[in-house]
Amino acid sequence: MTDPMPTTVPVLEARGVIKHYGHVLALDEADFSANPGEVVALIGDNGAGKSTLVKSLVGAIRPDGGLILVDGKPVSLTSPLDARRHGIEAVYQDLALAPDLDPASNLYLGREITLIPFIRILNRRAMRERAMTAFAELGINLPNIGAAVGTLSGGQRQSVAVARAVAFASRIIFMDEPTAALGVIQRGRVLDVIRRVRDRGVSVVLVSHNMPEVLAVADRVEVLRLGRRVASFTASQTSVEELVGAMTGALEIANGSGGPR
Amino acid sequence: MTSGDSEVQRDETPAAPGGDSGGDSKVEAEETPAAPGGDSKVQADETPAAPSGNGVAQHPGVPPASRGADAGAAVLRAGRRLITFSETWTLVALIILIVYFSFRAPGKFDSLNDFSLMGSANAWYLVMVVGETFVILTAGIDLAVGAVLVMAGVVADLYCLHHGGASASWAVIGVGSVLGLATGAGCGAVQGLGVTKLKVPPLIVTLGGFIAFTGAAYLITGGSDFRNAPNRLVNTIGLGNVPGTPLPWLIAISFAAVIVFGLILAFTRFGRYTYAIGSNPEAARRAGIAVDRHLIKVYALSGLMAGLAGILSLANFGTTTLAGHSFDNLTVITGVVLGGASLFGGRGTMLGSVIGLAIPAVLLTGLTIIGLNTYWQDVAIGAVLVAAVSLDQFRHRLRERA
Amino acid sequence: MHSRLRTMVAGMAVVGLGVAIAGCGSSSGGSSQKTMELIVGTKSDDFYVTMECGAEQEAKKLGVKLTVTGPATFSVPEQKPLIDTVAVTKPDALIVAPTDSAALDPDLERVQKAGTKVIFVDTSASDPSLGLSRISSDNAAGGKLAADTLGNLIGGTGTVAVISVAKGVSTTDARVAGFEQEMASKFPGVKLLAEQNDDADSVTTAEQFIEGDITANPGLSGAFAANVITAQGAAAGIAQAHKTGTVKLATFDADPTQMSMMSSGTIQLAIAQEPALEGADGVEQALNAIDGKAVTKNIATPLIAITPSNENQASVKSYIYESNCAG
Repeated sequence: MTDPMPTTVPVLEARGVIKHYGHVLALDEADFSANPGEVVALIGDNGAGKSTLVKSLVGAIRPDGGLILVDGKPVSLTSPLDARRHGIEAVYQDLALAPDLDPASNLYLGREITLIPFIRILNRRAMRERAMTAFAELGINLPNIGAAVGTLSGGQRQSVAVARAVAFASRIIFMDEPTAALGVIQRGRVLDVIRRVRDRGVSVVLVSHNMPEVLAVADRVEVLRLGRRVASFTASQTSVEELVGAMTGALEIANGSGGPR
Repeated sequence: MTSGDSEVQRDETPAAPGGDSGGDSKVEAEETPAAPGGDSKVQADETPAAPSGNGVAQHPGVPPASRGADAGAAVLRAGRRLITFSETWTLVALIILIVYFSFRAPGKFDSLNDFSLMGSANAWYLVMVVGETFVILTAGIDLAVGAVLVMAGVVADLYCLHHGGASASWAVIGVGSVLGLATGAGCGAVQGLGVTKLKVPPLIVTLGGFIAFTGAAYLITGGSDFRNAPNRLVNTIGLGNVPGTPLPWLIAISFAAVIVFGLILAFTRFGRYTYAIGSNPEAARRAGIAVDRHLIKVYALSGLMAGLAGILSLANFGTTTLAGHSFDNLTVITGVVLGGASLFGGRGTMLGSVIGLAIPAVLLTGLTIIGLNTYWQDVAIGAVLVAAVSLDQFRHRLRERA
Repeated sequence: MHSRLRTMVAGMAVVGLGVAIAGCGSSSGGSSQKTMELIVGTKSDDFYVTMECGAEQEAKKLGVKLTVTGPATFSVPEQKPLIDTVAVTKPDALIVAPTDSAALDPDLERVQKAGTKVIFVDTSASDPSLGLSRISSDNAAGGKLAADTLGNLIGGTGTVAVISVAKGVSTTDARVAGFEQEMASKFPGVKLLAEQNDDADSVTTAEQFIEGDITANPGLSGAFAANVITAQGAAAGIAQAHKTGTVKLATFDADPTQMSMMSSGTIQLAIAQEPALEGADGVEQALNAIDGKAVTKNIATPLIAITPSNENQASVKSYIYESNCAG
């Protein structure tokens, strides 16, 4: 139930982050930390502030107060592109793929390999080759590499989105409900991919409502409630009941405290 | 825990493998997608570098296909890039029409003279189709093309009228043409701003543009055509051929536009961004593409093409033909849609649009030559258009369901 | 409370006064000056501009108030709202050139029922119950004149193309009919190609029409283009086929554009109407109708054939259309 004693500098950390939306306090001095090479799950009930916290950490919104640190150094993430430069990538629930383009084009969307400055002729062969490499490394098997992404199954599309994030993330990837729309087999594959990513040294933050899944793949679980971190567990040492308790506040009431900070 | 090795790698490979700086044609092993741990080099050697021709992904460890199959596969892929399934259909339809009319009017329809006349009479349509293709690919539409054509012609001719009139020199014609092109691009850019900054749907913005630019042209001319286009422009560009060839300038210029911008659409980053924005503008935005700026460029390009069309039309008719281009927008849009482009954006090619424009053009001339009422053309085009859009809708619905 | 009541009464008085003033102004029967509205076929077309000039001159002379409007293009959807507005504003008379001979009947009926006297100029509705007077050039006679002149120009033999606008416009339909009938009866040696309709009023379509005609009939002798747009298109097509002067191009109307084409040799014949007279006659007959005097049901204004040989004569010059009313 307590934080493991930090022996390493977290690859990404939030300290006391505050965010207001009008009169609503979405993040109330929220904390978060992800260590290098781990899968950490971020859970919380609806309205707990997960999405706001994630957006702050990927540069989509700017917090009103608090600190965000990358490798222990405070940074100011001005935009998602800025966050990408720090090696932070995200896979959103809507995947943000262009359905009419093929997987390689989607992988390199916005980061195309081009020839000749200004004219920017696409180096399709290089992008295709590297995309295939990237897919293979994650064990992703696409039947037709030239097919439009919109014709692929939900699981395959998910894989493309994940591969894109993995291909460019040097530090950490955020995944928002990656298995929500998938069938059983596909879900298993995505979890495999998450483990492989972690094994390559890139951390993964998994935002999920699926408790069993969280316990199956995460190393640690951080719980958000009412805009702040109320608990942090080692996955192997906790249970679904305990997690749910932390999320809903039942645990706090039982312990008579606000949880560890 | 990561080693100091990967620390160095992180600093050296910010976000984009391969980078985007000039002269990055060299593909280096160090630049494979950033993988802290330092085993990217090893992995690159293990996985096959050659993509398979039939699209089946190969497992790591399987030896790459032979060189011959590689070359064949590359040709097949390049071919597939230039022409898709829907284009094949329209190309077949076009060929059938050409064969039919050649059979019905031998020596007349299938003569160099006739093709030359068809090409020149459709030159400004072809040029406008180029711009409209880009716009429709972004899931937009440009209804103002005919009006921008007229506006550009009016501006160009106005300049020439004040600097020599019918006997204006080539220098004057050059400046007038540049002014016309700039007018076109300007009109287009204004529409682009309306779409991106005012967030008004393209249909409405360009409808407003159509009305406004038509009105402006009438205001400038006082309601009556300018009649004295420079003789040099009319006799050379309008009626003349490229020196030493039987190729009319109108065809040469319009085809040059198709080829240049067709290549840009298919092979450059600008073209890919056009497809991406039409396919999923939010994904493009999140990928860091400056969507609004790109859209403004696309609408400006459509305006520029309409401006070029205005110069070609001025050269051909010798007047500003104020009232004669009101429904050019429908002809142009029909061409793009017939050619397989989706009105939802993201799908379509330049070649398809050219074929899509050629079909009604061939029908019109062919039916005229064999003496059949051209209402058959209207019926045929209407039917094919509805079929093409239905197919597009059907494909779109299939994709949404997937 | 007293002051509040006073404010209310004052307010109502102001409102009442306003209504009274407004009411005074809008009652058409009450005002002394007669009001007329002229709706032309296309606002900036030189033919209709000339008609407007003639109508305004006559209106000034007769002391009536004339407003002139017109659609931007010769189309039913653009002219319909203008006619519908007249049913609301209820001028004493409407002088109109309808853009279709049947599609605007319900709108014209509404105007007529509201008490406005309807006079047709140039085009008309085919329904005889609409309109008190029809004033136009005898378009059939104009077509006949064109056939006579063109037939002579081409020496009575050869093939002739006919390029018109969309069917359903009373004027152009009558011209084409007159042309075809006269050509068939007076010049049986001339082969007439079937009428080609440039529905969208596109210069490019007209050009493609004539180019196809020339390709199919390399010996094409002449062509009749029903309006200025088809004339511009046909002239360009003839030029592209290198047949300027060989294919004698005849057209209707004497726009400055067409006159300059005649000067440069791309048109050999223009049948000119007298739109100024049509406009003036329209105002005159409208006033007759308003005053309860006898209205002439049909007036045919004269036409002349302008060719390069007579285009500079003074009598002919007055038939040439204007792009704006100077003086």
